[in-house]
Amino acid sequence: MIPSKFEYFAPASLSEAVSLLSSYQEEAKPLAGGQSLISLLKLRLASLNYLVDLAGIAELNYIREESAGPSGTISIGALTTYAQIKESELLQSKCPLLPQTASVVGDVQVRNRGTLGGSLAHADPAGDMPAAILALKAELKVAGPKGERWIQADDFFLGMMETALSPDEILSEIRVPVLPDHKTIYRKAARRPSDFAMVGIALCLKAGDDQTCEEISIGVTGVTDKPYRAEETEKRLQGKKLEPKIIEEAASAIVQGVDVMENMHASSDFRSHLARVYVSRAIAAACIRS
Amino acid sequence: MMNLDEIFVTRNWVGKPVRRDEDIRLIKGEGAYVDDLDMDCAHVAFLRSVYAHARITKIDTSKAEALKGVIAVVSGPEVAKQTKPIVARAITQPAIQYVMADKKVRYVGEPLVAVAAEDRYIAEDALELIDVEYEPLPVVVEIEDALKNDSPLIFEEAGSNVLLHDKLEHGNMDAAYQEADLVVKEHFRVHRYSSTPLENWAMIAKHEKGNDSFVVWANDQQPGRSTTNVCNTLGIPNNRFRLIVPDSGGGFGIKLAIWPYIVILCLLAKKVDKPVKWVQTRREHLLGGSHAPDCDVEIELPMKKDGKILGLFIKDIENDGSFVHTAGIYGLIKFATMVGCYDIRATRAELISVVTQKGPTVQNRGVGKPTMIFVLERMMDIAAKKLGLDPVEIRFRNFVQPKQMPYTTPSGEIYESGNYPECLQKALSLSGYNELKKQQMEMRKKGKYIGLGISAGIEPGTSNLGYYYTSRGVPEYMGNAEGAIVSIDYDGNVNVVMGSVDQGQGHATTITQVIADMLDIHPERVSVDSHLDSLVSPFLGHSGAYSNKFNDVDLGAVIMATKKVRDKMVRIASHMLGEETGELQLKNGAVCSSKDEQKSVSFQEIASLAYKKILLLPDGVEPGLKEIAYYKNSMAKRPSRDDFNVQITHSNSVHVVAVEVDMETGEVTFLKYVIVHDCGRQLNPGIVEGMTIGSTVHGIGAALLEEFVYDENGQPLSASFMDYMKPVAGGLPRIELAHMESPCPYTLLGSKAVGEGGAIGSVAAVANAVEDALSPFHVKVVSLPITPQKVVRAVKETKEI
Repeated sequence: MIPSKFEYFAPASLSEAVSLLSSYQEEAKPLAGGQSLISLLKLRLASLNYLVDLAGIAELNYIREESAGPSGTISIGALTTYAQIKESELLQSKCPLLPQTASVVGDVQVRNRGTLGGSLAHADPAGDMPAAILALKAELKVAGPKGERWIQADDFFLGMMETALSPDEILSEIRVPVLPDHKTIYRKAARRPSDFAMVGIALCLKAGDDQTCEEISIGVTGVTDKPYRAEETEKRLQGKKLEPKIIEEAASAIVQGVDVMENMHASSDFRSHLARVYVSRAIAAACIRS
Repeated sequence: MMNLDEIFVTRNWVGKPVRRDEDIRLIKGEGAYVDDLDMDCAHVAFLRSVYAHARITKIDTSKAEALKGVIAVVSGPEVAKQTKPIVARAITQPAIQYVMADKKVRYVGEPLVAVAAEDRYIAEDALELIDVEYEPLPVVVEIEDALKNDSPLIFEEAGSNVLLHDKLEHGNMDAAYQEADLVVKEHFRVHRYSSTPLENWAMIAKHEKGNDSFVVWANDQQPGRSTTNVCNTLGIPNNRFRLIVPDSGGGFGIKLAIWPYIVILCLLAKKVDKPVKWVQTRREHLLGGSHAPDCDVEIELPMKKDGKILGLFIKDIENDGSFVHTAGIYGLIKFATMVGCYDIRATRAELISVVTQKGPTVQNRGVGKPTMIFVLERMMDIAAKKLGLDPVEIRFRNFVQPKQMPYTTPSGEIYESGNYPECLQKALSLSGYNELKKQQMEMRKKGKYIGLGISAGIEPGTSNLGYYYTSRGVPEYMGNAEGAIVSIDYDGNVNVVMGSVDQGQGHATTITQVIADMLDIHPERVSVDSHLDSLVSPFLGHSGAYSNKFNDVDLGAVIMATKKVRDKMVRIASHMLGEETGELQLKNGAVCSSKDEQKSVSFQEIASLAYKKILLLPDGVEPGLKEIAYYKNSMAKRPSRDDFNVQITHSNSVHVVAVEVDMETGEVTFLKYVIVHDCGRQLNPGIVEGMTIGSTVHGIGAALLEEFVYDENGQPLSASFMDYMKPVAGGLPRIELAHMESPCPYTLLGSKAVGEGGAIGSVAAVANAVEDALSPFHVKVVSLPITPQKVVRAVKETKEI
């Protein structure tokens, strides 16, 4: 890797990291697992004067149950790797959507290095984890010079690699609800198993015994400049019986209101088509499992 | 083929899957690649064109030169003044291009300025300080753009963007058309893809100021030709240039023409008091390293109603981008085996190479043969469908039969051995083809679409370099040969130095097996130096690793040199033991009497005479036990347009593939992948298996994933591995491999080409399987790669991919 020159800091605590970022503001960037930022630096597509490496901040790597019971939550430190999420027995039993999604991020090397917090803060429009976070309606804890604040997942992703974080803030924790009555699923269209999503659909569904949709949230990635909630599709399913016709009709709204991306792998038409197919299949699969 | 008993005294090693000797060292990170060489170097970075076509109006490097740590700078115009233009191998039109852009740039990524600095970071920083003014010119990207009458000219001196236009006809094509019941025609587009070796290009150049000479360390795949090209381009005598090739991490043809960069490094080295090093980045490699050309092929098969093919016409237009050295060579290689495994008695070919603003093209694994077999094997399916024949049946009706071997194609290519019908038969039964067909019908009823694809491919090896005569007059190189030095050292151990190089093919292991069986010693006592030093290695203009020549001429040279050493040892032993040479045999590292094995002298004792007690040598025997041999395959014909062979050995294989295609998402999933492969006698079945599977995976990548995409401005869109999609293990089939062995009569060991093979048959097999799956929708596969988007679109519109 041959980046331009930058100064490197390895703070040992979150507060130290925040104070470095607040001193250097836009000229600095925090580094988590390095699976995105390093590539940008390598190609000199990004340049910065100060790199704040968070790897030494042990306090940001954990997965723990905050409160048990039906309204319980699980907290995940921002520096927790995909591999740790994938392997976590706690998450596998109480929030399987995260391990399932983490298991299809990149390849083994990426999963060993890349972190949940890094993925969200980088906000690649085709990242896998943001879709899951949206579907789970997670809450994100942010540390800044003025202390900490919480951001709802829905309010976090603003645009192409743009989030609600200000340059001197660090995403420190992701808190997800335990949803024992929901079925969750992540489905991804990708040219190769290790690729970014052409379309990724994360689904959180609570259906009644008669297959009535009681609660649904759908996170979509890979489709537009940012991951988003498919609100219109959710609306069309809410309270409805999950029958093929209804699912299809709701799926047709999956890209409603978004400006669909186009690149060499998928035109906007094809991407919209894939999004419809994948959301239909995800819902159908969730129904079968219920 | 020689009587193997004349070559081998034991049969313990050749033919066994001996574990590769090279691997442990490389896997443990103990390899010595160019970048590992411990030298105090200046580091080089290249400023590359950001335009596909532009006149250069100004290059100002003064700020870069002033940057602390920058040692030297050379720019294109300066290089052009000091060098000769790049030599062209195949094209016939004049096209002057230098190793760096001088007056204008012709592709994005073309080198413009080279900077040497104390470290690579400074060198890269310096690039940002170089001021280049471009005057953008209209851009030519695709073949049809290049062929327009008013197309902008990329090389004005050529007067056109067509740099080669050749027509070749063998047999009576007019008669074939007249006798035909029908002519099956199709038009194919094959995309631009490439191999991407793990190690990119890397080189170090050192200028010896004392005698104005150069030493270069580079991962060059073809040192024989590179040495000549570098010296000629620089205008220096051969003895002022020494090339050393250390470990090299993968080649696949892509390192056959790195020499233009060696020229640039030499010019920089002249300005610097220490060696200069350049290690190509992946981005540089994907931008302007080298690709296989995309092409446009029209094909016609005049045939009888019963499926018999009477003739074959192709019009092949190759998009060779902007690199005049290798432009045009693909068409001629496609042409050579255009009849594939079939007995077709008349051929006509029109071969066109166009220059465009895509990146350079160079030989990539199979060089045109994957395309030719793709086109031909697609045509077999298309013709079968047209005639209501089974794709299996049409192949059986046209195969060259075993009794016809050796079989000479209309243009003079000689297929020396092989049993094509049996190979197909075997592949069908191994794959359970008939059972799969039944399953296909049942699954279709359930809305699942399975497809079966067959491809029977010819896999030629050992290039007869004289074939360029077909377009360029008497060629500079003819035939094919290689050199080897084999010596016995003081301890009676064997050491081998080759004229060729290795990029990971396992040459050393195979050579060791051959020598162990020739001399009856344990392979551990044989050392093969896979590196090359032009000062000591026995190289020829042909030297290098390409066209699957190793098993033929490289081993031929090893065998001949080993025989010389063996004969000399026997002669010395005869003197020592007082026995006639005819009464002696080699046994376990010694020469002994055939009658009385107690009468024996070890190799070490013989070496002691040869190297030390030379007064005890028999009269007329020179001291030393080191022999050199060059071996040529004598089947290479001399250049002639009427009768010539392009390759000298011909392996063959059949691939049978079953896929499932998801009609809604366009995703292709493998259900079965079977290969029956015939590369003559297998010398190391483990290596053959590894190469065949690796090569097949490359073909699968070409069929489904890999593509260098350019936009209408000639900007490359696939300049990283995120967008240039090599296959990954997930999503690939488990490949079942079986073998036939039809020994080659014209190589010493009966061995034939292996290495390119899988990449040749697989592209067609996968494409045929996908089309078969899509047949209820009447979709035709005529372009590559087969992407999900194309599949869905074609199914929706019921048309062509």
